[in-house]
Amino acid sequence: MDVDLEGPTGQPAALDDMMLGTSDDDAFRLQRATATYINKDERFRIEKRTYDNQYAQLYYCRLLKMAPRLKQRIEKQWPGVAVTKILDLPENQEVAVVGTLYKEMKLKPSILNEYNKERGIETLTGHTGFVSDDDSLVLEDESARMALRGIDAGQLVTGVVAAVRGVSVANGEFHVKDILFTGPQLQQPLLEATDGDKYVALVSGLSVGDEAGEPARVALLVDYLAGLLGSLPEQEQVAKVVRTVIAGGLLHSMEPLVQAAPQAKQRQQAAALVPIKDMDVCLTQLVGAMDVDVMAGATDPANHALPQQALHPCLLPGAVTFPTLHRVTNPHEFEVDGVTFLGTSGQNLEDIDRYSTETERLPMLERLLQWGHLVPTAPDTLTAYSFPDHDPFVIDAAPHVLFAGNQPAFATSLVEGPEGQKTRVVCIPKFSSSGTLVLVNLRTLKVQPITFDARMDI
Amino acid sequence: MDTSKRSFEGAGPSGPPMKRQNDSGGVEELVDEQFEGVPENLEDDGEDVDVRLLEEDLELHLGEAGRNWKRPDPPPQDPATDSLAFQQLDVDYFIGPPNQQLYRTDLSEVPILRMYGVTEQGNSVCTFVHGFEPYFYIEAPRSFGPDDCDSLSAQLNRMLGDRNSKGGRQSKFCLGVQMVQKQTIMHYQPQKSRAFLRITVATPNLVTQARGMLEHGVNVDSLQRHMSFVTYESHVLFALRFMVDCGLVGGNWVELKAGTYNVLNLEDPRKQSHCQLEAHVHYSNIISHPAEGDWLKLAPFRILSVDIECAGRKGHFPEAEKDPVIQIASLVTEQGQSKPLVRNVMTLDTCAAIVGAEVMSFAKEEDLLKRWRDLVIETDPDIIIGYNICNFDLPYLIKRAETLKVHDFPYWGRNRKMRLRIRDAQFSSKAYGTREYKEITIDGRIQFDLLVALQRDHKLSSYSLNAVSAHFLGEQKEDVHHSIISDLQAGNEETRRRLAVYCLKDAYLPQRLVDKLMYMYNYIEMARVTGVPMSFLLTRGQSIKVFSQILRKAREKNLLVPNQPRMQGANGDGVAYEGATVLDAKQGFYKTPVATLDFASLYPSIMMAHNLCYSTLLPPDRVKELSPEDVLRCPTGHCFVRVSRAKGILPEILEELLGARKRAKADLKAATDPFMKAVLDGRQLALKVSANSVYGFTGAVIGKMPCLEISASVTAFGRNMIDHTKKLVEERYQRKNGYEADCDVIYGDTDSVMVHFRVKDIGHAMELGREAADFVSKTFVKPIKLEFEKVYKPYLLINKKRYAGLLYTNPDHYDKMDTKGIETVRRDNCQLVRTVVTTCLEMILINEDEEGAKAYVRQTISDLLMNRLDLSLLVITKALSRADTAYAAKQGHVELAKKMRKRDPATAPTVGDRVAYVHIKAAKGVKAYDKAEDPIYALEHNLPIDFQHYLDHHLELPLQRLFAPMMNNPKELMCGAHTRSIALATPSTHSGGIMRFAKVRLSCLSCRTPLPPGVSDLCEHCRPKEVEMYHRSLGAVNELEQQFSALWTQCQRCQGSLHQDVLCTSRDCPIFYRRKKVQKDLGEAHMLLQRFPEW
Repeated sequence: MDVDLEGPTGQPAALDDMMLGTSDDDAFRLQRATATYINKDERFRIEKRTYDNQYAQLYYCRLLKMAPRLKQRIEKQWPGVAVTKILDLPENQEVAVVGTLYKEMKLKPSILNEYNKERGIETLTGHTGFVSDDDSLVLEDESARMALRGIDAGQLVTGVVAAVRGVSVANGEFHVKDILFTGPQLQQPLLEATDGDKYVALVSGLSVGDEAGEPARVALLVDYLAGLLGSLPEQEQVAKVVRTVIAGGLLHSMEPLVQAAPQAKQRQQAAALVPIKDMDVCLTQLVGAMDVDVMAGATDPANHALPQQALHPCLLPGAVTFPTLHRVTNPHEFEVDGVTFLGTSGQNLEDIDRYSTETERLPMLERLLQWGHLVPTAPDTLTAYSFPDHDPFVIDAAPHVLFAGNQPAFATSLVEGPEGQKTRVVCIPKFSSSGTLVLVNLRTLKVQPITFDARMDI
Repeated sequence: MDTSKRSFEGAGPSGPPMKRQNDSGGVEELVDEQFEGVPENLEDDGEDVDVRLLEEDLELHLGEAGRNWKRPDPPPQDPATDSLAFQQLDVDYFIGPPNQQLYRTDLSEVPILRMYGVTEQGNSVCTFVHGFEPYFYIEAPRSFGPDDCDSLSAQLNRMLGDRNSKGGRQSKFCLGVQMVQKQTIMHYQPQKSRAFLRITVATPNLVTQARGMLEHGVNVDSLQRHMSFVTYESHVLFALRFMVDCGLVGGNWVELKAGTYNVLNLEDPRKQSHCQLEAHVHYSNIISHPAEGDWLKLAPFRILSVDIECAGRKGHFPEAEKDPVIQIASLVTEQGQSKPLVRNVMTLDTCAAIVGAEVMSFAKEEDLLKRWRDLVIETDPDIIIGYNICNFDLPYLIKRAETLKVHDFPYWGRNRKMRLRIRDAQFSSKAYGTREYKEITIDGRIQFDLLVALQRDHKLSSYSLNAVSAHFLGEQKEDVHHSIISDLQAGNEETRRRLAVYCLKDAYLPQRLVDKLMYMYNYIEMARVTGVPMSFLLTRGQSIKVFSQILRKAREKNLLVPNQPRMQGANGDGVAYEGATVLDAKQGFYKTPVATLDFASLYPSIMMAHNLCYSTLLPPDRVKELSPEDVLRCPTGHCFVRVSRAKGILPEILEELLGARKRAKADLKAATDPFMKAVLDGRQLALKVSANSVYGFTGAVIGKMPCLEISASVTAFGRNMIDHTKKLVEERYQRKNGYEADCDVIYGDTDSVMVHFRVKDIGHAMELGREAADFVSKTFVKPIKLEFEKVYKPYLLINKKRYAGLLYTNPDHYDKMDTKGIETVRRDNCQLVRTVVTTCLEMILINEDEEGAKAYVRQTISDLLMNRLDLSLLVITKALSRADTAYAAKQGHVELAKKMRKRDPATAPTVGDRVAYVHIKAAKGVKAYDKAEDPIYALEHNLPIDFQHYLDHHLELPLQRLFAPMMNNPKELMCGAHTRSIALATPSTHSGGIMRFAKVRLSCLSCRTPLPPGVSDLCEHCRPKEVEMYHRSLGAVNELEQQFSALWTQCQRCQGSLHQDVLCTSRDCPIFYRRKKVQKDLGEAHMLLQRFPEW
C-alpha cells in the first residue's frame, strides 16, 4: 500500500487513552470546522420508476458516451491505427475497434438452472468465484460481436467499454495486441486551502443488529466523532472533521424483517425492529454533532437495485428531525470545499470479486478509474435500474476521492492520471469487523485510518 | 423459420393404422409402411415425365464459389490401373437407354442403378450400375417342364406388351423364364427344394404388373389351364433387390477393381451428375466390403444444414404462393469435423456483415433462389439436414420457385437433368404412428430431418426447436415471432442482419444436435446392420429393416419369401392375440429393498430357445407327419419343429444380431479412438433395436409378413415365464426354507418381476436377487435367462405401469430416481404439476421425508391460492393442429385463438402453433372453453386466474395417486386450513363489467380500512406499524428487482447481444411469462412502496 497516510498510524486509539482524556472544558471550547457542500446525486435519483425498459438501452448509452473518449485516446496512444466497426473489419490488417466487453463464463450462474431437471445435484459449490480457466472475452459494438483472442480475460469483466487493437482472422476471431480504456477523465482543479486542515470521515458497515458484533465499538465511534472522547489533540483533530459519510451497511441484515410472516407473533416482529431503532438512536447522536451523509448498502432497508435510493424517513424517525442528516443515494457524489468525492457502498467491488481473478480490492477500485465506469458489471450480474436514456455510472470527471464501502480491509493509494489528475482511492473497511474509520484530509488528500478497540481485555 | 418448428407435434405413439387413398387406383387399401406406393408409383404410370431425363439440357451458370465451398479436387483416376473405393450412402435407379458397352441388349430402356458415395479423400462419386435385371419367382406348376419356359415367357411378354402399348419404344417386356430349384420360407418343408420359375422382366414396374396378372390368374398356354399363382419376392424394392443380391448394406464401402469400370472426370461434358467422379460398371464387378476392420471408417461426407425465413403476412402462416423467402442460411460441415466449413446466409435486400459468416444479399428473390441452388451444387452436400425441412423449408423453396416461375430452380439434386419432385405421402406404422409428410426426391442427397428423427427416437413434451435444444443442449434458443420477422425484414440492413444471425443460429442448431446425439454414427450403423439404405431409416418403419434381413438370410439358405395376400380382417381389429402379461400390482410404499429380475432380450430369446420361425411352423394338419419329439407345441396350441429337425432363420438372424452385439460391446470396451467408439456404440445400439423389432415384425398384422402363430406363441411363452418365475420365487424364498422372511412378488410387467424379499440391507437383497435369477434361469431353455439388474429402495408402487423408486445397481449409493407413468414429463400438464410431483417424489424417495412432502404440497396449494406462484407454472399449451372450423367440439385453446385473432391478427397463433393459455375465473354459466385466456393478456388486464380449477383438475388426481400408497385419505391434502386464505385480484377498471362504475379509494395497507383523503399509506391505528409495513413492501420490491434483473439479463445472454433489445417470444422458454409477470408485479410493488410518503 502506498504510504501516504498522515497522523499517528498503526497505533489504534486505545480505550484507556480515550477514557482518560475526557475533559469537558476543552470539548466545549472547540468549534467544529465548516466547509461548503454540494450534493451531486441528481443523476442517481429516480423519482418515477417504470419497468417497461430492457437493459439494452443502458449498455447502449454507456457505449455512446464512452466511445468518443476512447477514440480520443486511440488517436494519442495508437496514432495511425484506423478505428473501424466490427462489421467492416478488414482481414489481416491492424485496426482498432471500440465496444463493450462481455465475458463468457461457463460457471456464471443462470436463472435458467432453476428449471433444470436435475435439481439438487448441482448444489452451489462455493458462493464466490465463478471464474474458470476457459473464460473468454467478446467485444460488442453497436451491431455485432467478435471473439477476442490473445488476451487474458481474468481481470476484466462484462460491461467495460474498451478499445482493442489487433487483427481479425478468417474465422471471425480477433487477435488482440493491445487493449485501451478511457483512463481517468479530466478533473476539476483543487482549490488552494486557506483555513488549514479539514477532514471528511468515511465509515461503513456498522452492522447494527449483528449478534456477533461489538455494539460498544459503534458507541465509541459515535462518541469519538461527536468529540466526546480522547485527549485534547485528538479532539482538536475531530473538530476539523466537517462531515461523516456512512457508505452503507448500517444494519447487519434486513432479512429478519422481511421474513417475519404477517401472522408472526407480535414479539417476533418487535424483535425484528430492534436493530432499526438502535440504528436511529446511533444516528441521532451523530447528526447532533455534525453533518452526516447516509448511503444505503446491500444490507440496508432500501431498494436493492443500483442506484440505491435514500433511506425512507420512517426508518429514522429520530435522526430525520435534524437538518444535519442527509439521506443520500448509493452511489454518492458530492463536493466539500471543492474536493469531489465519488463512491459506493461496495457492491460494485463485491461483484467484480466474484467475476474476475483479481483478489485484491484496491486494484479493482483503481481499475474502475481506468475503465471510466463505476459499476461495469451492472446490469449483467449486479442488479441495476434499467435507465432508458442515460448511464449514470459512467465517471465523467475523475473525482478527488474515489471510495468503496464495506471492504474486507482498509487500503488506499493515490492514482495520478496522464493530465495531472490526482485521485485518492480508498477502500473503507467494514467497521464491524475492523473497527476502522477513515479520515480524508481535504487539503492534502492524505488519509488516516483510526481504529477503535472496545475489548475490555486491554 | 420459426413457425415451421411448431407446426407439428409428434403423432401419437401407437395410433391405429389409417386408411390411405391409393394413388393409382383410388381403391382404399390398408397399408402399413406402404412401400409400393413410393418410388415404384413413378413407374406405375409410365407417363411421369419428371423421372425421365429432360430433353433440353439445363444450362447452369454457377457463380463464383465462396470460401471452402468446393470439395477438394479428386486425384487423377485411371480406371485401368486404379481401383475406386467409396462409402456408398444412397442407392437409387432410373430408366434410361442401356450402356451397350457394359450391357448388351436390344431393349431401348433399361433400369440403371446409381450408387452415390464419397471416397476417403472426400470426393463425391456417382457409380452407374448396368445390367441388373428385375425379377421375381413363382412356384412352378406341376407338370411344368423346362420346355414350357419359353412359351410362358412369350405369353407374359405379349400380355405385358398389351398393357404397355402406348409406351411405344420398348421392344421386349419379359426377358425370360427360368426354372430354378428353391424352397419357400413359409412352414416347415421336409424336402430341400422344389422347382420355381424365375421371371425376369425389362423394367421394375413390370414386376408389379406381372405379379398382378399372375396372382389374379392367367391361362397358361402351354398347360392349357387357368391358374393363379403365389408370387415370391415380387414385392422387393428394386434398389433393395440389387443391394441384397450384391451383398451391399446401407452405408458400407464399395470397391470397383481396376479394369472393370470406366470413369468420367470432372469436366466431361457427357457427365450426367454433379458428382466429381462418375463411374460406370457392370453389377457383377462390384465388390462390397463388410463394415469391419478398416472398412468400419466413415468417409468425410458433407452435411448441409439449412434454415429459411419467410415474411408471412399478418396473422397467417406463410404460404409459398404468397409470401417471399427472405433469408436462407446454409452451413456445410464435413463429417468428423467440429466446426462448419461454410457458414453462409443469403438475404433478400441488403444486410450488414456478420462476423465469421458470408452474407450474400440480393435485390430479387429469384436471384436469391438461384444463387442458393448454385450453393448446393457447388458445395455438393451428401446429406441435407435441418429442423422440419421435409415438411416446411424444402417444399417451401420449391413451391416458391414455382410461383415465381424460376423454372431452373429445382435442379439441385445430384443429377444434372433431374428435377426435384414433391409428393404428399403418409407414413403409418404401429411403432411410430401415422403422420403425413411431403416426400421430396433429391437424387443422391439424403434428407435427414431432425424433427422426424427426434419424434421417432425420443419422447419429449414438446418438439419445438427451442424445447429440443433446451433438453439436449441445455440452452434456450431465441425465438423471434413471425410477426416480428416481417418487421425486421422491412427495417434496414441492421435489422435484417439481426434476422440473419438468428437464421444462422437456427441452421446451426440441427448440426449441433446431430453431433450431440451422434445421429450420423447411429444411423449409418443402423443401415449397415439392417442392410437398408440410410434414406429408408427415416421414411420407412421398422419392418423394412427386418424384411431386408430376412431376405438376405433367405437368399443364403436358398429360400424364397412369398408375397402374402393381405390377411383376412386385416383392419387391425379382426385378428388379435393376447399380449404380454402384467401381474397385479400390490400397491404400497416399500421402504425395504425391492429387487427387479429382468429377462434379458425376452422376446428374441424366446424365439431362439423355442426355434420359432416361419420356416419351422407346422400347419396343424401336418403335425401328425412328424414324430412327437420333433414337435414343439406352444401354450397357444401352435406347433413348430424343433431345432433337431430344422433350424429356423429368425432364430439364426437373432443369434447373429445378439452375437454381433456382444462383439461390438467387447470392441467398444477395447476401443480408444473416440470415432471408433462412436461407431461401435452406434452399432451395438442398432443391433439391439433390430433384435427387438423382429418379434414386432411377425405381429404386424398389416405388415409384409405377418405370422401371428409366431407372435402369439412368443407372448404366450412370455406370460407363462412370468407366472412361472413368480411361483418359483415365492415358493423358495420363505422362512421355512431358512430365509429371513417370506418374500412377495409385488409386481411384474412383460419382462420383469419385482420381488420384495423383506430384507433391510440393499446388499443382501442384491445377493438374493442374483441367486434367485440364477435359480430360475436354470429352469428355462437356453438362451432364455433371467437376470438380476437392480434394486429399488424405497419403492413407491402406485398401480399397473405406475411406479417410482430409487434405483441401486451397487449397494453403496443410488444411481438415479426412476419413475414410470407418473406425471413428471407429460406435455399437456402445466409445469406446476410436473414440479410438484417431481419435488414430492424427491422428498419421499431421496429424503424419505413423507411428512415434508405433505407439508410441501400444502404450502404449494396455499401459494397457488394466494397467487404467489410463478405464472409460467400455470401455463398450459396445446397445439392448434387444424383450422378452427375443423374442430367439431369447442375447445379452450381453439376459442382462445379466435379471440386473439380479433385482438391482434399479427400475433395470434395460427395453425401449427402451440396455443398457450391459463384458466381464468369467469361469471357463472360461462362455458369452460371460454375460460382459457392468453397468459399475457390475463396479466395485463388483471384477469383473475382460476386457482381452484388448477387445484381440482390438475393437481388433485396426480397427487392423490401419488399419496394413496402412503396415507389412508389423500384427499386430506386438498382441504384444510391452507386452502382457506385465497388471493382475490382486484379487477381493473378497464376489465369491464361493473368495475367501470366503481370509484377507487385507497385503503390502509395494513388493515384495509378506507383511508381519508390525503393519506395514502396507513390509517391512524396502524401508524405505529409503519416501519414494519414499509419493510414488507420493500422486501417485495427487492425480491422482484433481483428477479427482474436476473431474468432480463439472462435473455440478453441468450440472444447474444448487449446493445439490442430482446425480441424473443419463445413461449416454450420457462422464463418468458415469468419475466413479463415480474415486470408487472415489480411495477405494482413499487407503486405500493411509493404510497409511503416522503415526509
